[in-house]
Amino acid sequence: MQILIIILQIAVLLAVVLLHVAYTTYFERKIIGHMQVRMGPMRVGWHGLLQPIADGIKSFFKEDIIPEQADKPLFLAAPVICLVAMLASLAVLPFAEGWALADINIGLLFIFAMSSLASYGIILAGWASNSKYTFLGGLRSMAQVISYEIPMGLSLVGVMMLSGSLNLTEIVTAQGTSIFSIYLFPQIIGFFVFFIAMLAETNRVPFDLPEAETELVSGYITEYSGMRYAMFFMAEYIGMMVMASIGTVCFLGGWNGPFAIPFFPPFWFILKVYGFLFLFIWIRATLPRYRYDQLMALGWKLLIPLALLNIFLTGLFKILVH
Amino acid sequence: MKVQYKPKRNLLETIFQVEILQGMALTLRKMFSPPVTRQYPDEKPPMYPGFRGQHALVRDPVTNDSKCIGCMRCATVCPSRCIQIRYHDDERGKRFVDQYAIDVLRCVFCGYCVEVCPVGAVTMTEVFEYANYDRAAIHYDKGALLENWDNFIAQTGYDETYVNPFWRPRGIPASLLPASQRMNVPDDWTIKGQFVGTKVRQTQESDGSTHAEESNV
Repeated sequence: MQILIIILQIAVLLAVVLLHVAYTTYFERKIIGHMQVRMGPMRVGWHGLLQPIADGIKSFFKEDIIPEQADKPLFLAAPVICLVAMLASLAVLPFAEGWALADINIGLLFIFAMSSLASYGIILAGWASNSKYTFLGGLRSMAQVISYEIPMGLSLVGVMMLSGSLNLTEIVTAQGTSIFSIYLFPQIIGFFVFFIAMLAETNRVPFDLPEAETELVSGYITEYSGMRYAMFFMAEYIGMMVMASIGTVCFLGGWNGPFAIPFFPPFWFILKVYGFLFLFIWIRATLPRYRYDQLMALGWKLLIPLALLNIFLTGLFKILVH
Repeated sequence: MKVQYKPKRNLLETIFQVEILQGMALTLRKMFSPPVTRQYPDEKPPMYPGFRGQHALVRDPVTNDSKCIGCMRCATVCPSRCIQIRYHDDERGKRFVDQYAIDVLRCVFCGYCVEVCPVGAVTMTEVFEYANYDRAAIHYDKGALLENWDNFIAQTGYDETYVNPFWRPRGIPASLLPASQRMNVPDDWTIKGQFVGTKVRQTQESDGSTHAEESNV
């Protein structure tokens, strides 16, 4: 019985998240369109509202092409690794008080592990396709993930120090219910570092070097088509949502808001995640891509020292207060 | 001159990355401005004078046939040789146009045929949606060209005096133009208002001042 309930919860979460993925692509196209004084999708349904469904059906029925020289098992496994790792990290997210599928004590660590695993999918895809563009995309992804995992982990150390826990639910409760007690204010440096590292982790503009379409055709997904391509796409968008949720949980006070919403406790959580997603899209519509050496310089020379400084200041603050 | 590629910033501007924030503000502002997109099949583009669209033969309401007199000027002036005319003369010397065909696939849309026509028989309508999968379907014969005209006036409400000022040869006084093209045109289509070279302007000012007034008539 317990297992059945958990399976049902998983199914509901999956359905909700995949629907969100579909409509995030729609809103991304709409918002970027309007920011570029265009309209975005308009023809499928009212104001293009059925566009993501049409896209989904199209990619589902498209031919699945495997290059002749590709490393077949790895080529087939790569998108699955990507998607599974991203979906697994959904399990530990606390959407509201007690609304986490798995309320484990190493929640933050688990999410780091899973987002690093997802980059294995990208690297393997780049390698297994046996094409120069995908290989370059995979290489870049590897370097980017190694450079940005470190500042990301370090930026959250401050949060861990303040809350004294790796459990995401406890991090939220440690921030209290007041809007002024969220960790955004004491951890403003940490948030800055986290935000930039988050953009880089999810391969979003301005750090979308692994799939830089202007230089690398489509980067690591060049050789993929049909449903496997869609799986990479879903993984990317779920990654965005997971990272937005981590930002919400660790810096913006999770599900706590100015006032409680009856019957739907995750309201504020979801609102904050939408805010993050809008920020992702807004940045994509505005900024050009970083050059490769600039990306590395930013990660190693700026973000890591800043994150270390943040840890030092947080520690000093804790000693002085107690 | 020294080009400064990277404007100087003070410390505060560096910390808050002012340029990035300015860019973000711009995109946010543009998000609420009306889009410039034209939803084409639903929303047609506006037509401007001088549009050179589908060819047509003007149907004379008196004879219910083309106004063409078979002078062959259009076929002669056509740079791509896409107009074919067949005619015969009867014993009294009256000329009958048997066939008048335009191969649109060869046409370069220069509009010379319309400019040169002494009776305003051939014209270019404002219709531009006549793409076809069949090559033969856009090789217009006389019947098809007359039908184009009928469709055009039914759609837009013009009559057979439809004359586009852009098809009138510039710099020619109105008295020398065929009657159908001797109509009032905007000021910049008279000799005075035209954009011409200095030399033409000087000769016009010295001897063509009467022409300039004439062309406005």
